[in-house]
Amino acid sequence: MFGSHKVKIEGELLDKAKQCAEACGYESVDEFVLHMLEKEIKKVLPSDEGSAPSKEVVKKRLQGLGYIE
Amino acid sequence: MLAFASIALLPSCQRARGKWQGEQKLIVLGIDGMDPQLLTRFIQEGKMPNFARLAQRGSLKRLTSSIPPQSPVAWSNMITGMNAGGHGLFDFIHRDPKTLALYFSASRVEAPKHAIHLGSWVIPLGSGSAEQLRRGKAFWEILDEHGIPNSVFRIPANFPPVPAKGQTLSGMGTPDLRGTYGTFSFYTDDPTAATGAVEGGQVIPVQVENSRIIANLIGPDNTFRKGSPAATEPFSVAVDPMESAARIAVQGHEFVLREGEWSDWVKVEFQLIPFFGNVKGMCRFYLKQAHPRFQLYVSPVNIDPASPALPISTPSSYSRSLSEEAGEFYTQGIAEDTKALSDGVLDDKEFLEQSRTVLAEHRRIFDLQFPKFQKGVFFFYFSSLDLNSHMLWRLIDPEHPAYDATLSSQYGSVLQEFYQQMDQVLGEVLPKLDKHTTLLVLSDHGFAPYRRSFNLNTWLLNNGYITLKSDADPNNNEPLANVDWSKTRAYGLGLNGLYLNLHAREREGIVTPGAKADALLKEIREKLLAVRDPKNNLPVITRVDFAADVYQGPYAHDGPDALVGYNRGYRAGWKTILGAFPSDVLEDNTNPWSGDHCIDYALVPGVLLSNRNIAAEMPALTDIAPTILAEFGIVKPKNMMGQSVFQPNIARR
Repeated sequence: MFGSHKVKIEGELLDKAKQCAEACGYESVDEFVLHMLEKEIKKVLPSDEGSAPSKEVVKKRLQGLGYIE
Repeated sequence: MLAFASIALLPSCQRARGKWQGEQKLIVLGIDGMDPQLLTRFIQEGKMPNFARLAQRGSLKRLTSSIPPQSPVAWSNMITGMNAGGHGLFDFIHRDPKTLALYFSASRVEAPKHAIHLGSWVIPLGSGSAEQLRRGKAFWEILDEHGIPNSVFRIPANFPPVPAKGQTLSGMGTPDLRGTYGTFSFYTDDPTAATGAVEGGQVIPVQVENSRIIANLIGPDNTFRKGSPAATEPFSVAVDPMESAARIAVQGHEFVLREGEWSDWVKVEFQLIPFFGNVKGMCRFYLKQAHPRFQLYVSPVNIDPASPALPISTPSSYSRSLSEEAGEFYTQGIAEDTKALSDGVLDDKEFLEQSRTVLAEHRRIFDLQFPKFQKGVFFFYFSSLDLNSHMLWRLIDPEHPAYDATLSSQYGSVLQEFYQQMDQVLGEVLPKLDKHTTLLVLSDHGFAPYRRSFNLNTWLLNNGYITLKSDADPNNNEPLANVDWSKTRAYGLGLNGLYLNLHAREREGIVTPGAKADALLKEIREKLLAVRDPKNNLPVITRVDFAADVYQGPYAHDGPDALVGYNRGYRAGWKTILGAFPSDVLEDNTNPWSGDHCIDYALVPGVLLSNRNIAAEMPALTDIAPTILAEFGIVKPKNMMGQSVFQPNIARR
């Protein structure tokens, strides 16, 4: 439930993951797998709107940039 | 195997038992926003003798910026040798396509997700985290892998800093203690002052009773308390009834400020949970006025480098040792308080004092660190030209709506003075160059006037690409809140981003991906390129790039579908950036923020200078990381786009 989780990928799947990562321009298999997971999770699960900062909070934070009023 | 091949390219005398022992040195000065036109002018006028010498003996070329030419994107191109498709940063601001929630593109700071609630207290389980969202490997990570020593100071888009063997200090993107890009406080007893939240700050009413004021410094949100109210710490002010001065007391520190005087850094500890949790910050006070009305500015509370609440350096202890050596310094990524000037809390003179302090701190760190550089790579970043060009352009541009001849006569030469300070820095570097040393001086983009705002979402609305709900709430200021998504085909978010309301990507997307989407983008592009400003008949937009054409890499489809490139003099309007609909499509920009670069990238190239001949005809930011690696015989990774600028180049971006 907390912290990190390791998944073992081996054999043909690992070989193919390596090929995909390289073909797509990822730095590593880890980065490739994480990006795929993030994309799939976004498709399947409802967006986690509750945990996101409110738009007003984001706006206040961004105003410090200078680019927005 | 690849690692072996790259090692083998290095002369064998440079390696012993895997440790690099070469003599090669590379110095990189990163000067945000140095503009080729201004630089050339100042060189020709004899104002920048060191840059003139470097250009004469070596090379001076224009450096192609990123698409779009926004600093986090541009510096990420430089850092990774990839464009936004490879490093995933497309704008200062990104959006979740399902919710249209906006977030900072470069980093995410999260509170602990699990907690126990005890009365009014919330006890978190585990700790919060800061995560860098830039993808791709930084050039110094690759140098580390090859044992090349390196130091990287204040480079943007590196918060929290990626793990590194050398000394690194995070720069642009580093928040203040409140998690914002900078929130000042302004305390006043002026009953006519509008109090409450203002852009980039907070105006706090105070009462002067018997010449004394009690007020609170505002710290980070206290996630230990239900509702996460801001943590506060009291301070007191004794206003001298006779003199224009005040004595300020905060947590055992006492100091006297006269009107117009700044304090040194004052350390403040915010208690989050009694006897258990606290967080350290620091701020500077400025007594703007003691009488007849009390006016006190307090800077954003910065992360204390001696005890950082969030990671800002590698090794993590480095920021502390640096502060012990160099004194306290702004850790906030964008330290120049542009919003205090835009809000009228600081005037031009006061802003310039603050801005000069920021540069003085950076130069102090540079002066201490540069002489220690022995071998490998030394990178140092300066922000001053960028922020001051943003704020002072109106003083050098008589055509600007905010031009003021009186102010121009007072401060019109200040931007040049900041350029000359960069010349002084270069003057410290040039004598250190020897046959083993390569110098690169570069900027991420140039600059242009920002005279007129183009409200992209209003234009999309007027042209039928956005439809508002029939029961739209005019008081709802949430970004794109009143949009009827079932009838909307495109929307704008961020400084240059144009998105389609794409089926299966956006929650209520109606545009079918593929040929229909492509045709719609082409149609919008043609119309945007035809927009003329009725004020002067100039084209407002000079290019619209499609993401599919200009981005390569695994994240190419995660950003906007098209990038709007404005003509010089124009930029996305203040309100349209977050999805609002001002009534006019075009309007004058009267804000002190009067120069900008978030336009057509071809119109705001940066500069690249070197003590060696730059063979590349059109060097680009994506060439810099490959250049750095090539200097040490390291073969660039396959996903890096560019090549060394010391080799003649082919077409590149």
